Amino acid sequence: MNGFGALAPLLIIVGAALVILLLDAFLKKDNKNYLACLSLFFLVVCAVFCLRSWNKNLSYFEGQLRLDNLALFLAFLFLIAVAFVMFIGMKYLTLQNVPGGEFYGLLLLALSGLMIMTSSLNFIVIFLGLEVLSVSSYALAGLKGKDEKSSESAIKYFLMGSFASAFLIFGLALLFGTAHSLEISAVLSSFRANFEGQLLGLVGLGLVIIGFAFKISLVPFHMWTPDVYEGAPTPVTAFFAVGPKAAGFAVLFRILAPYWNEGFKSGRIFDVLWTVAALTMLIGSLIGLRQKNIKRLFAYSSIANAGYMLIAVLAGDGASLIFFLTVYLFMGIGAFGSLIALSKKDREYTDLEDFAGVGFKYPWLGAIFSVFLLSLAGFPPTGGFLAKFYVFVGAVRQDLTSLVIIGVLTSLISAFYYLRIIVYMYMREPERDVDIEIENPALFLVLFLCLYGVLQLGIFPGNVLYVIRQAAASLF
Amino acid sequence: MELLFVFLIFGLLGVVLLSLNALLGPKKTNPDKEQPFECGSPYLQDEIKPFPIKFSVVAFIFLLFDIEVVFFFPWALVFKEMRPAALVIMLAYGAILPAGFVYAWKKGAFKWD
Repeated sequence: MNGFGALAPLLIIVGAALVILLLDAFLKKDNKNYLACLSLFFLVVCAVFCLRSWNKNLSYFEGQLRLDNLALFLAFLFLIAVAFVMFIGMKYLTLQNVPGGEFYGLLLLALSGLMIMTSSLNFIVIFLGLEVLSVSSYALAGLKGKDEKSSESAIKYFLMGSFASAFLIFGLALLFGTAHSLEISAVLSSFRANFEGQLLGLVGLGLVIIGFAFKISLVPFHMWTPDVYEGAPTPVTAFFAVGPKAAGFAVLFRILAPYWNEGFKSGRIFDVLWTVAALTMLIGSLIGLRQKNIKRLFAYSSIANAGYMLIAVLAGDGASLIFFLTVYLFMGIGAFGSLIALSKKDREYTDLEDFAGVGFKYPWLGAIFSVFLLSLAGFPPTGGFLAKFYVFVGAVRQDLTSLVIIGVLTSLISAFYYLRIIVYMYMREPERDVDIEIENPALFLVLFLCLYGVLQLGIFPGNVLYVIRQAAASLF
Repeated sequence: MELLFVFLIFGLLGVVLLSLNALLGPKKTNPDKEQPFECGSPYLQDEIKPFPIKFSVVAFIFLLFDIEVVFFFPWALVFKEMRPAALVIMLAYGAILPAGFVYAWKKGAFKWD
C-alpha cells in the first residue's frame, strides 16, 4: 500500500537532526542536556508513527521505501538503542570534555541511515542508507578531536569503511550487469534463470557480502573493530556495537534468506559463509582471551557474537536472528553503560586491573555489570542464554550441527573472559585507586532498563517472540 | 538546421562577448595576471610547498554543493512526469543544504584564523 506514513518516520528523524545541529550552532550553550531531551521527544514521536503503521505494509517512492513489519521492528530497536546511547552519553560528554552538540545530531543522522538500510529492497537504496550511516559514524568515532586514539579510530574507520564501500559498489555494478536491475528479487531470479552469467553474478554477490561483512565485522574483515572500539568515545562504541551490526545483519538476511530458498543452499556462497562463521566465532573468542583492555575485549566479544548471528543467517532463521539482535541490544548497551559508569572527570577506567575490588566498593554497579557479563557469556536465566539457544536449535534443524558444535565450544571459551572480569570484581584485592562519579541518574536509568530487558527476554520472552515472529513472517 | 542555429547563436554570442570585453574592459595588467594558470599557487615551483590545512574545510563544503548540483540533472529529466511531487522533493532537498551551510558558517568554518 502506498502511503506517506512510510516516509514520515524518516522525515521526523532527519528533521530532528537538522534542528538539533542548528540549535547547537546558534544557542552555543555549555550544557547540552536540553539537546538530549529534545532528541528524545522526536524519537518518541517517530516511535508513535512506527507503531501506527504496524501490519500495514506501507511503501513510498514507487515501492523503493518499504515499511514492512521487519523494518518497523528494527526501527523500534534502533530508536531504543539511540535513546539509550544518548542517555548514557549525556554526562560522559561533560566528564570527558567531548564537544557535545554534534553527538546528538550525528546519532540521529546515523539512525536515519539505519532506517533507510533496513526499509528497502533495492540495493542502491540500501547502499545509500549504508553511506548515510557510515559517514556519520566516522565523524562520531572522532568526536574527541583532541584525543589521539579517537582520531586514530576515526581515520582507521574511515579508510577501511570507504574501502569496503568500494567493494560493495563494485559488486553492485556486477550484479546489475547480470540482472539489469538492482531489486533484490530481480537479482535473485536472474540467478535462477541465467546460468551463463552465474560467475559474474556470484562474484558480484560475493563482493556485496564483503561490503556488509566489514560493517558487521566478520572475520577476515574484522581488523578495524578493536581499534575503533577502543578509540571512539564509549557511548559511541556502544552504538557501533549495536546499531550498524543489527542493520547489516538484517540486510544480509533479506538478501540471503530468499537466496537459500532459491535452492542455493549448497552453493559456493553458502560454503564460504559457513567457513566465515566458524572463523569469526573462533577468532572472536580466542583473541579475546589475551585482551587486558575491556573495550578491546568487548570488541572481540562483539566479533564472536557476529559469528553466532551469522549461524542464524545461514540457517535462514529470521526469528532467532532478530531475537538475538534484540537481546544483544540490551546486553551490549548495558555492558558499555557499566563501563561508562566506571569513570570520573577526565579519566576512564578500562583496564582489567582497574576492576579489582569494584564489586565490593560499588555493589550495585558490580551486580548489574555481572548480570550483563553473564548474559553475554550465555548463562540462564538471562536473555543471552535464550538468544544462543534459539539460534543453535534453529541451526540444528537445518543440518548445521557441526557449526553449532563450534558455536557451543567457542561460547565456552569466551565464557572465560567474561567470568574473569567478575572474578576481578569480587575476588581480587584492589591495587589501584578507583573512584567514580556516582551522580549520573540518566546512565543508571538506562542500566536499569537494560537489566530489565535482559531479564525479561531471558525469563518471559513470549510476548516479544510473538511480535518478532510477525516481523520475520513479513519477509516471505 | 536547428543545430546550425544553435552553433550560430552561441558562436556569435561568444565572439560578441569576447570582443566587447576587449573593447570595453579596463586593461590593467601585472605579472601575476599574465600567468597561464590562476589558482593561487605559482605554476612553477621546485617542490610541493605545504598548503594551509584550512583549505580542506572549504574544499569539503565546495564538494558538497558540487554534488548537490549533480542531483539536479536526473531530477530535470523526470520533472515533466511527476511535476508537483518533484518540485516538493527538490524544495525539501534545497532546504537541507542551506541548513548545512548555515551550520558550517555558525561553527566558524570560514574564519581564517
